[in-house]
Amino acid sequence: MQTSSINRRNFIKISSLAGGGLVLGFLLPGKGMAAPSESGDFLQPNAYLKIDKTGKITVFVGRQEIGQGVNTALPMIVAEELDADWKNVTAEILPYSTNPIPGYKPDGGGIYDTGGSQSIMTDYTELRRVGAAARLMLITAAANKWKVQPAQCITENGFVINTLTKARLPYSALVGDAAILPIPKDVVLKQPKDFKIIGKPAKKTNLKDILTGRAKYGIDVKVPGMVFASVERCPVLDGKLTSVDDSACKQVSGFIKTVTFESSGVPMHLHAGVAVIATTIWSAMKARKLLKITWDEGANNKQSTDDLFKTFAAKANDKPVKEVYKKGDVTNTAANTLELVFAEPFLAHGTIEPMNFIADVRPGFCELWGGLQLPDWTVQIISAEVGLKPEQIKTNLTLSGGGFGRRLHFDFALEAVRISKQIAKPVKVIWDRTDDVRNDVYRPASLHAMKASWDNNGKLQTWQHHKVQTSIEVMTEGPDTKSPPDMLGGAGSDLWYDIPNVYTGYTHVDFNLNRGWVRAVELCVNVFPVESFIDEIARKLNKDPLQYRLSLLEGRAAFETEGSKLHLDPQRVANALKLAAEKISYHEPRKKNHYIGVATHFFSFARSYAAHAVEIEMTGAKKFTIKKIVSTIDCGIIINLDGLMNQMEGGTVFALSQALMSEITVTNSRVDQDGFYTYQVARMPDIPPIEVYTIPSAEEPGGIGEASLPTLAPALCNALAAAGERPVRLPLSKDGWSWG
Amino acid sequence: MPSYSFNVNNKPHTVDVDEDMPLLWVLRDILNLTGTKFGCGVASCGACTVLMNNQAVRSCQVQIQTCGNAKVTTIEGLSEDGSHPVQKAWEKMSVPQCGYCQSGQMMNVVGLLKAHPKPTNEQIENMMAGNLCRCGTYQRIKQAIHLVIEETAKG
Repeated sequence: MQTSSINRRNFIKISSLAGGGLVLGFLLPGKGMAAPSESGDFLQPNAYLKIDKTGKITVFVGRQEIGQGVNTALPMIVAEELDADWKNVTAEILPYSTNPIPGYKPDGGGIYDTGGSQSIMTDYTELRRVGAAARLMLITAAANKWKVQPAQCITENGFVINTLTKARLPYSALVGDAAILPIPKDVVLKQPKDFKIIGKPAKKTNLKDILTGRAKYGIDVKVPGMVFASVERCPVLDGKLTSVDDSACKQVSGFIKTVTFESSGVPMHLHAGVAVIATTIWSAMKARKLLKITWDEGANNKQSTDDLFKTFAAKANDKPVKEVYKKGDVTNTAANTLELVFAEPFLAHGTIEPMNFIADVRPGFCELWGGLQLPDWTVQIISAEVGLKPEQIKTNLTLSGGGFGRRLHFDFALEAVRISKQIAKPVKVIWDRTDDVRNDVYRPASLHAMKASWDNNGKLQTWQHHKVQTSIEVMTEGPDTKSPPDMLGGAGSDLWYDIPNVYTGYTHVDFNLNRGWVRAVELCVNVFPVESFIDEIARKLNKDPLQYRLSLLEGRAAFETEGSKLHLDPQRVANALKLAAEKISYHEPRKKNHYIGVATHFFSFARSYAAHAVEIEMTGAKKFTIKKIVSTIDCGIIINLDGLMNQMEGGTVFALSQALMSEITVTNSRVDQDGFYTYQVARMPDIPPIEVYTIPSAEEPGGIGEASLPTLAPALCNALAAAGERPVRLPLSKDGWSWG
Repeated sequence: MPSYSFNVNNKPHTVDVDEDMPLLWVLRDILNLTGTKFGCGVASCGACTVLMNNQAVRSCQVQIQTCGNAKVTTIEGLSEDGSHPVQKAWEKMSVPQCGYCQSGQMMNVVGLLKAHPKPTNEQIENMMAGNLCRCGTYQRIKQAIHLVIEETAKG
């Protein structure tokens, strides 16, 4: 388990390197021949693409659609090289199989795994090859028919055209002949300048389904014979059930019975639970309220976030337990020094579709239904749980009503499995919103002690960053984890600024609360102190924060980061920043009480670069209005321009919640918040105008699903610092800031 | 178990359920109209919004026993084919990301525009403040609402 967990962690960080071109082997159905189309009615050269005789083109999408738009962008890549008519393209979920492409054994990202904004980056080349190979088969079929050389044929918008005679045949008329041809091994891919679909705005392939209520999410799935479960969980993570009295539940119509399950450790950390089974979810929820339960909360039931932050502060003064990155010598401090401490809270995911899952566990058989971001890992762990081989488990993947990293974890699926195993029936577990907010895998709370010094010429000489947090790896891999700590996002060798002496380190503090990957993970956590601190240094030096940043990026050559081996181009960091500054009219005279803050970063999960500029108006003491937010991105080649804009806007909003108001606090080892009234998130009146701008690039495409999160909070805080007071703790509401 | 008759999407329905079962679960689990979504159960998110006698309501807060002869419209009844002006505006502006909250958003807008055919920006923000979108599509929702208002004014 340990090994696979570490692999999974690596996937989040470096699957681009490990998986990359291998992930989508062009291998189905084997022996280099197209699928034996029994009826001769379609061409399916591989698992990902099917063209039928009506001209309908289906792209099977391996990555999980969680709102980020893979079900549109990935088909666009195939359609581009296929020269398809985009309006004939539909997307379907690639049916889950433990061995979807025979002969291919993924050791990194798998072909279903969806995280780190890496779907496009990982699949781009192979999906182009998928489209190009099918196109070549269609050309060959047409050339045979016309008795000309394939080189004399071209394709356009779903037709093969004979350049000699100008004859045209639609793909639909060629699929039967193409299907019996060998799959070409070598294909020539288009030049990006010839792209007709990639880079254009496209609407979501399932947009109509969403707008008419037909889109089926996990929570909408129904299975014959299914019952429902609502689970009362121990409020403390490592607790045990002492006793349960469910006699009062029997008065609720539809109530069937209760079953219990124990808490579990690595990797998914279930809370101990009493599951109330009923014929409808409403009956189960009602009956659950009548349970009489006593819990043994264990020894760690008195912890609080107040105490945790005191511990953080004490540890921050010590030497980091783990040295992360060292360049030069920071002990040789220059004449002028600055120290600042930044703090960030635990955060929940708050997907709008609460956690839910269906499991049907019978002797020798197991079937699953639901949304999962890491289905391979889920099935692997569930197979151990039920004592079946992974290939004996049938997994039905569904749309998800939001992911944000929550469905990288599968505690909810394990619950369903444990319940179904005891009742030998399919069961749908649905969490209510309180369950969801109180039993999340939270983004870790953290504290960052930053130190810098500069000489009397104003040259920055040393930079130190000690991050103290409750680690994720300890939860997913156990206390002996060897995984690198969460230090991407400028807290390690990927610091984009050119500073001669750098030291960064990490200290983990135990805390009895489940923790996991929340959208942009440590990039959000680390870019906040990095981009706030550099801004504060500029202010102390009486330099313009924008120009100061650019001076530390100017002329710095692209380099490879240590350990993570990521290619980082500081000039692209600078360009994202410059564009944000330009679009917010940074250099124009500002209205009275208006202030602008900026922040930039290298989105290292998926080789993108993104920045924010935020303009605020101070309307009173600690009161402000956000007038405008500019979000910029350089992600290399853009696939779906409209999807990108939507993601950048939405990511900005997600980060705005975190900057302004979202916070999970803990008292007596239980989460204080119980839903969206207490775990606050941005609503329409909180949202200022957001403008998104892209930087044209011919670089290989990177990811965009998380790229607009990390710089929003520091840009906003830098605007507040420009107005006179620097926030050093999030969310802003905690220290009395208000907006509107 | 009591029996309740009411009208959903212009069709009469009779259901035998507990009197306190929320309309949300009657729609989703009894009538199989899963376009109406569960998000919180406590009126904090708006994902379950439907029209009841032309007013937008949170179906998680409406017990079936209070429905009487109500005429309920869900996203499935807004149009057969996505041709309602609000759906068309949503399509034109490419509003959704995950899409889960959007039926509630659209039903709330339909209710809003029935109550205020020409709402001010402030009215729009106030009346939409109860509908969460965790993907953060608020800006597009606002633009789509303005589009509906413009298109309606054109006739």
